[in-house]
Amino acid sequence: MNWTQFLFRLVEPVVPPRFVIKRLLLLIPVLFGVASVVFAILHLAPGDPAIIIAGQRASAEQLEQIRVELGLRRPLWEQYLSFLWDAARFDFGQSYSISRGNSVRSVISDRLPITLELAIYGQAAGILLGLPLGIISAVKQDSLTDHVTRIGALTGISVPIFWSGPLLILLFSTYLDVFPTSGRIKSTLFLPDTWMLFGRELPLTGMITLDTILLGNTEAFLSAAHHLFLPAVVIGVYSTALISRMMRSSMLEVIRQDYIRTARAKGQGAKITLMKHGFRNALIPVVTVIGIQFGTLLGGAVLTETVFGINGMGLTIVNAIGVSDYPVVQGTVLTFALLFTLVNLLVDVTYSYLDPRIQQ
Amino acid sequence: MSTDTETRGTLGRLRASPFLADLLTNRLAVVGLTIILSMAAVAIYARVTYDLGALASSQLGTEIADRAPPGWIGPAPANQQLFGTDAAARDIYKRTLYGAWLALKFGTITVGTSTTVGVGLGIIAAYYGDVTDNVIMRTMDVLLAFPPLLLALALVAIFPRDLGLWRAVVALVLVYTPRFARVVRGAALKVLEDEYVDATVALGATDPRVLVRHILPNTLAPITVQSTLNFGLAIIDLAALSFLGFGAQAGSPSWGLMLSRGVENGLLTGEWWLSFFPGLFLAITVLGFNLLGDGMRDALDPRMRDAID
Repeated sequence: MNWTQFLFRLVEPVVPPRFVIKRLLLLIPVLFGVASVVFAILHLAPGDPAIIIAGQRASAEQLEQIRVELGLRRPLWEQYLSFLWDAARFDFGQSYSISRGNSVRSVISDRLPITLELAIYGQAAGILLGLPLGIISAVKQDSLTDHVTRIGALTGISVPIFWSGPLLILLFSTYLDVFPTSGRIKSTLFLPDTWMLFGRELPLTGMITLDTILLGNTEAFLSAAHHLFLPAVVIGVYSTALISRMMRSSMLEVIRQDYIRTARAKGQGAKITLMKHGFRNALIPVVTVIGIQFGTLLGGAVLTETVFGINGMGLTIVNAIGVSDYPVVQGTVLTFALLFTLVNLLVDVTYSYLDPRIQQ
Repeated sequence: MSTDTETRGTLGRLRASPFLADLLTNRLAVVGLTIILSMAAVAIYARVTYDLGALASSQLGTEIADRAPPGWIGPAPANQQLFGTDAAARDIYKRTLYGAWLALKFGTITVGTSTTVGVGLGIIAAYYGDVTDNVIMRTMDVLLAFPPLLLALALVAIFPRDLGLWRAVVALVLVYTPRFARVVRGAALKVLEDEYVDATVALGATDPRVLVRHILPNTLAPITVQSTLNFGLAIIDLAALSFLGFGAQAGSPSWGLMLSRGVENGLLTGEWWLSFFPGLFLAITVLGFNLLGDGMRDALDPRMRDAID
């Protein structure tokens, strides 16, 4: 083997298979449609952006000037094309309401990590607890464990976050005073913008638990974790309930398949059969569902942020809609849609590795 | 005599229908159905008995205390309310009961409309295929590319504030319709493979006749399950939009709005009854629909039926 062949061998697994490329190309029309919907929403929304920016008492000339500056006097198709161009470069202009002159892009880059951190903890809890619970429930079908898990999971998806959240705050913060009611870290603690790695200054991630670890600040980490605990529990319980339900029904279907019986008949142990043949096959549909449920989880993060006063993307979009800050609404909604689409792409790719039949 | 045979016939058919039989032997589904029917009774009772105007308007300045705890806690003066009063001295018990009417009414409208539109689009897409299919389903794909609650939030911004819960309904219909369209299209495509559809067409049946008489009935099973499970979701999402301030108008006794007021007025001061009761009714109602939906899915899935035997 000469070294070009060797190099090729090395890159081969990294080169995306045809399936992935096709999936990426299919993404373009969807994202184009998503951007068009967002543009349409902005133009159908009531209210004059000029009045929102300058206030009711501004003179007619001032308002007209702002309209020209914002490009609202140009023909609609021109506005549409320039919006698509801006969206492709992720440039949504300036926020109308958040400390005048703040670009939407910087608002999003400040607040997206906060929401992502919450969603990641929720999803992680859901996967770590939901998968085993679902498997146990399926394997011990109709046992007491199964009934308890099933009813628990059904209750978990039926209890809205904006009820469980306030109840936990009432119990643990207001009455027992063991957890803070809102915020992300003790107000006396101050975090710098950068951290040092081998003598080089690097920007922080914006995910507070990760940042405090990077900074090596134990006190700040403990405080951040303390603040994040209740919100993460609320969203984690919901996601655990969703995933355990899916895992149970998928596992129930798989353990009835002939190949499981064959494996057992060959004399393979029950545990090995379950893990090698059962779990892997049952996981395939669950992975898809985890991707689809990520959208629900993002909605859950919006509600969790509102309940716990966490200033992430969710609270930002809720406030922006309230004051008709359309650039922020556009930017945040597009970011959420992009994130959701990318997660589903990732899921489809994972899926194709778990089940090579899909690639054809 | 003839009525007796008829009754026996109906009962016989009922017993012969494995779906209904399975559904009725599924204890959880029966519990779910009971919850839904009780909640519907509560809703109708509240709608008939209470005056919405009185429930919505502030009672501050009357002899009723505001933020009074439920009557059965501590030393109770005679006039204390069962679930306590809110920050505007309104009776939380009556408001929570009326909330059941709002939730079921708007939930039914939301699910009913999105089912009808989604079923129509799904069947048309499957039957005509080609360009029609592509236009409909690609539009649905775009709507499905948004996280559900966020699309609803963005859509709600289009409508004027005084539409109240109706704007939440319209937004959620747009969010749910694609799901129905997708499920129905899949089911309809399967039906279309059957030869009897070709036979009907060969016999000269018109398109609408084939669609309504032959394809629709065969897609009803997955639609029913999807609708029931979506009902719980719709009630939560309607409440969520109200909770975030984009649904029910100020003063309305909707559960979502009551929970939002509970967070605003009672969270830090420990007045738990502001949040507890409306949320409890909301969660129980949603649980009812989820129990029934699960039961229906199990009863419809023949593999699950084998599992029960």
